[in-house]
Amino acid sequence: MFSRDLWSEIFHSIKSNKLRTFLTGFSVAWGIFILVLLLASVDGMKNGFTKQFNDDATNSIFIYPGSTTKPYGGFEAGRRIQFDNEDLDFIKQSFTGYLEYITPRFSKSVTANFGKETGTYSIRGVNPDHQIIERTVVEKGRYINENDIQNTLKVVVIGKVIADELFKDVDPVGQNIILNKLSYKVIGIFSDDGNEREERNMYTPVSTLQRLYGNTRNIDQIALTYNPEFNFAEAINFSDNIEVALKRRLIIDPEDQGALYFNNYAEQFSNVSNFTTMLSVISIGIGMLILIAGIVGIGNILVFIIKERTKEIGVRKALGAKPFDVIKLVLLESVFITSISGLIGMLFAMAVVALISPIIDAPAFSNPSVDNVTIITATIVLVVAGVLAGLIPAMKAASVKPIVALRAD
Amino acid sequence: MIEIKDLHKSYHMGSNSLHVLKGINFSVKEGELVAIMGSSGSGKSTLLNILGMLDNLDEGEYLLDGVTIKNLNETKAANYRNKFLGFIFQSFNLINYKSAWENVALPLYYQGVNRKLRKERAIKHLESVGLGPWVDHLPSELSGGQKQRVAIARALAAEPKVMLADEPTGALDSKTSHEVMDLIQKINDEGKTILVVTHEDDIAHMCKRIVHLKDGVIVEDKVVDQVRVTPYVQ
Repeated sequence: MFSRDLWSEIFHSIKSNKLRTFLTGFSVAWGIFILVLLLASVDGMKNGFTKQFNDDATNSIFIYPGSTTKPYGGFEAGRRIQFDNEDLDFIKQSFTGYLEYITPRFSKSVTANFGKETGTYSIRGVNPDHQIIERTVVEKGRYINENDIQNTLKVVVIGKVIADELFKDVDPVGQNIILNKLSYKVIGIFSDDGNEREERNMYTPVSTLQRLYGNTRNIDQIALTYNPEFNFAEAINFSDNIEVALKRRLIIDPEDQGALYFNNYAEQFSNVSNFTTMLSVISIGIGMLILIAGIVGIGNILVFIIKERTKEIGVRKALGAKPFDVIKLVLLESVFITSISGLIGMLFAMAVVALISPIIDAPAFSNPSVDNVTIITATIVLVVAGVLAGLIPAMKAASVKPIVALRAD
Repeated sequence: MIEIKDLHKSYHMGSNSLHVLKGINFSVKEGELVAIMGSSGSGKSTLLNILGMLDNLDEGEYLLDGVTIKNLNETKAANYRNKFLGFIFQSFNLINYKSAWENVALPLYYQGVNRKLRKERAIKHLESVGLGPWVDHLPSELSGGQKQRVAIARALAAEPKVMLADEPTGALDSKTSHEVMDLIQKINDEGKTILVVTHEDDIAHMCKRIVHLKDGVIVEDKVVDQVRVTPYVQ
């Protein structure tokens, strides 16, 4: 089937018809070029969006207390809701198996001193789970651990910005830092993908902060992540369940919208995911349409070529060419042209993407790229397109009647 | 070599039906050189198309070298054409982007002969028609007579049993016509069976037998004294 003779026939035909080969090839190369660029652009947009939401774990829920807006259970409206350690334990126990990580947040503003340097920062009392929920990256030293919590140790993990501002050239890890006149030991430095403001925080065991500031059991916020296997509906359902349980526990009207605030990332992230998925679907759709236009173009040119070559095909048939020989000739020519020119278009598009990708890193558009799956898919689509585009003209060519073709004109 | 009995052929165009061949009985023995004559519309081209397996017959029998030719599928017809028949056309029908030898080698390509052998044999046949120096030329670089000689070499290439020539001199002036007929006579001298469709009397008389067709039937079938064209050449 792929004998040297057949190829030399094809090359002959291509060589002696340079313009039409170029026109056919160009339409395919252009289609693939646009398709790859389109997919790369969508990839870039996806990267951009995902990056924006990378700050916290994507399966996290943050719960903030507010004030009641409705009288309920003997209480008047306007009561301030306050969480404490027991509320956290309640959620922990009620939703075992659904929860992945859970942490309290208890925040204070502190004046920090190290040597001659001083600054005002916020300190958060948390437990070790917080690191995962907030996606905190420990650059040096360690994060808060269970031992720190148990023994209410005065240790802090400080943000990179604080380390730069207060410690200058000194390595902060192991140093003592004065916070509101109390001395803490720095055990680690962290950075955060989300933003620089995050790095102006410091973390300390929640038990330590509660003991030092009024010996309370109060907490300001509860942050948790749920089972990552949950789909969108399950995630929303889960946060609704917590809300119902907490409202019952804290004696809040189930209809009260102001007493508790739930910030469920699933909702926001799902919007973005939907958006990017939609974008991919649309881009693939448009790409397909462009390819179809290309295929129709090739088909068109091939039909024209067949018309032009009717006589030649008739001669070949009179000399003993079987219908399959003719189909092979036309089909392989179209597959060859589509594959080669598609490859050129693809390489060209990839070169453009590779050139642009490192330069572009905007919030909404970052590092556009094409993966191997895309490339392989595109190649397969191409060859199939070539076969499809060549098929009808090839069958038409095979059915050319020699007498019609040979009629003296 | 060729045996035809009660051959009928009609063409249908919409509701109209045109009865072209109305019962042809006709046979050709090996080594004959037969001219098929007739005015246009007499059915001579249709007869040639059926003989050449380019068209199917409606009724009757056609035996070629003892093989019944009827209702062949395209692939089989292509095989028989390639094995049994060599065609010479009025308008040469050379493939214009192939050189002389490549045109001649085309039937061999469809026989699956390898390239080296193809070239060898094509050149041999081109030399036998006096085109030795022209093997690498494109048809556009050849004169009409040379083109027809390339076509004859191509028809010879597959070593066919029968050669069918459809108005082989129709597009040539009388001098080159005679050259081509001289070549056809020489090939016949070597024993090849040849059928020539023509409407020119002098061309017909260069054959050994003349079959006259009129309105789809044979009206005359006679053996003639062959006029040799040798004196006209060069």
